[in-house]
Amino acid sequence: MWTALEAAFVGSGWPYVFVAYLIVGALVSRPRGSFTAKTMAVLGWPIELVQKRSGTGSLPYLFLLPNLLVFGIFTFAPLFINVGFSFTEGQSINFSERPYAGTDNWQRLLSETQIDTGAENREDDKFARSVMDTAVFVVFQVPIMVLFALITALVLNRDIVARGFWRSIFFYPVMLSPVVVGFLWTLILKRQGVLSLTLMEWGWIDAPIQWLTDPGWTMFWSIFVYTWAHLGFYMLILLAGLQAIPGDLYEAAEMDGASDWRMLRRITLPLLMPTLLVVTVLSLIKAFQAFEELYAMQVSWISIVSYIFETAGLRGQPTAHGLGVAATASLIIAGFLAILSLVQLALSRRGAR
Amino acid sequence: MNTRTTLWTSCMSAALLVGGMAAADEVEVLCYQDGNECEVMTAMAEDFTAATGHTVKMNVVGFEVIRDQLENQLQTDAAPDVARITNTGGLNPFYLDLTPYVDAAFWEENYGAILPWYRAPGGEDKGIYGWGTQLTVTGPFVNVTMFDDAGVEMPGEGATWDEWAVALKEVQDALGVTAGLVMDRTAHRWAGPAFSYGAKFFDDAGEPMLVDAGFRDFAETFIGWHESGLMPAEGWPAGSGTQYRNAAPLFLSGDAVMHMSGSWMVGNYDQNITDFEWTAVPAPCGPGGCGAMPGGAGLVAFKSTDVPEAAAAFIDFMAQTENAARFAAETNNITAHSGLQKSGVEYPDASPAVSNALATFAANAGKATDSTPQAYTFIGYPKNGVIYGVVPDYITQAITGEISLDEALSSIDADVAAKIAE
Repeated sequence: MWTALEAAFVGSGWPYVFVAYLIVGALVSRPRGSFTAKTMAVLGWPIELVQKRSGTGSLPYLFLLPNLLVFGIFTFAPLFINVGFSFTEGQSINFSERPYAGTDNWQRLLSETQIDTGAENREDDKFARSVMDTAVFVVFQVPIMVLFALITALVLNRDIVARGFWRSIFFYPVMLSPVVVGFLWTLILKRQGVLSLTLMEWGWIDAPIQWLTDPGWTMFWSIFVYTWAHLGFYMLILLAGLQAIPGDLYEAAEMDGASDWRMLRRITLPLLMPTLLVVTVLSLIKAFQAFEELYAMQVSWISIVSYIFETAGLRGQPTAHGLGVAATASLIIAGFLAILSLVQLALSRRGAR
Repeated sequence: MNTRTTLWTSCMSAALLVGGMAAADEVEVLCYQDGNECEVMTAMAEDFTAATGHTVKMNVVGFEVIRDQLENQLQTDAAPDVARITNTGGLNPFYLDLTPYVDAAFWEENYGAILPWYRAPGGEDKGIYGWGTQLTVTGPFVNVTMFDDAGVEMPGEGATWDEWAVALKEVQDALGVTAGLVMDRTAHRWAGPAFSYGAKFFDDAGEPMLVDAGFRDFAETFIGWHESGLMPAEGWPAGSGTQYRNAAPLFLSGDAVMHMSGSWMVGNYDQNITDFEWTAVPAPCGPGGCGAMPGGAGLVAFKSTDVPEAAAAFIDFMAQTENAARFAAETNNITAHSGLQKSGVEYPDASPAVSNALATFAANAGKATDSTPQAYTFIGYPKNGVIYGVVPDYITQAITGEISLDEALSSIDADVAAKIAE
């Protein structure tokens, strides 16, 4: 035990800080009562102190502080760093070595003429292509997924045999790591994969097809796999929405002799609309950010996130101003997603009213 | 012994102990391996510890970590003391100059040819920065068993890429394998054959001038190889953008007749190929010569290290003649030590295939020096990484038919120019 304790203290200051914290706690709180009460007093002295000084009003903020710190460090700090990268240039991630570049990165990303060579720019084409390809992905993937999630939720909301089993089956892919999803589907969709071999055995195709990279199939399978992997999550939200609809409405409609179709159109869908809206906007935002599964499957089209990932030099090909150009692209996308979120907020408020 | 003497002796012993402890530093090494390089280095580090008292902490990571993360670690002073790298010129601003810690004359005599790879461009930098763990050179590996099974004669020394393509296609068709030829998706592997077709890559002033008649010829041929099915859909066309794709798995699994790779794969293939006979063949030729890309990995220390003496001592230890010989022999690599190159390294555990491969690759490097010197300009060009990524991006689009060859070639020229001008 002593060895472990010694090892913990070697080259690290935190045990000393913790001991100092306990000593300050003992001095400040002057613990009394049972051992547990004393321990709690020594450990929780900052809370006690705040409570003594300013009552219970400010306590919620104290409890929020750790989360805010983590959120600030891992969400807001990168956001500001990104803004900084987009207005500076160079290969370093160290701001002291990144000179201010004004709008140069914006021009390198969007301008028709390359500002460094004066010749035709290619970066804007690459960015536009990734935006267009991602748009195609989103336009097909989101409606298809919402529709199937809705149908699945409607079916699984009915009193069918082994309902719990079927719900877990549909939810199961959500629990898989995106890399596992990618790997699994690669085994099925690669040239020597299960799909090609089966179709050849049935005589439907003559030669094996590399489904994930074939230009005619890559988008279809990207949408299919992404929908398969995420459908369960949205199905669950819709299922919760369906169960929130009061049962007596259906009973009343049944007594009035309304058909199932009419009940779906007149009761279920209108009352499910707020949930459906949340699902649509969430899946829209998520689809724009699609990356992990597509990266793991090595599909042959470049999504916006892939473009940013690659331009930033994270595929081992760093360029002089790639980091700044990638940061600029990510800001544009972040801005677009922020607008989408605002639209969602506005629509849900209108729905609530 | 009176009390005073006892106290004095105790204090001195304690001081010596503390002093001794302070002098023994730990050197943190970030290492990637193609075969067993880091394992051999770890074993050799025990001798280093026995000789100097310094210890070595070896962190073995994937090549991607070195390639994608090391530079950022260096920019934020979060780097290890020593790392095994391949981007020898690109990380120069971060290198610790080993000159004060080593016998400069020994280094110049035995590593003089590759020391400039680590220096800043311009010729003024005379520092000693890294030990070349090995020399590498690109070239093809062939599945001999497939040639035998198909009854096709393997083209010999001096055969052209066109002759190889015909032979490989014959084998592929006869046996029904996925691919006749596979190539890692990077312009580093593409360059050798392109040199053979006459691509110059650089003008006389040493500036990139990628697209010329030779470059176009090879690009056209390369696209044709995909159209004919000689090269597979899961190779270059399956990649997007600047993505690197390793084609070794296809060769290892017996799905390809030839793998255009390089000498760093010798150890890996020796260990992992058990169900067929393989060999390295001389770099195929063409109107431009018999092109191959040289290169190498190196062990460097960084300025940010807290233990510069120990870090330099470890690199110097590895560079010593007997240790360089042991490293080359146990990892089946071509040594960068010129003295050993002349006297020859004994590979006691090497199979005939390994010995033959090492000799073949060494000859490829020699031929490249004579017939395609632009290979050395390319490897020493500080922004060569830009070219490695841009070429596959557009050539792939031409292979898949998204753009025409002309568009691909003009885009390569424009994009490389832009990325270099930035």
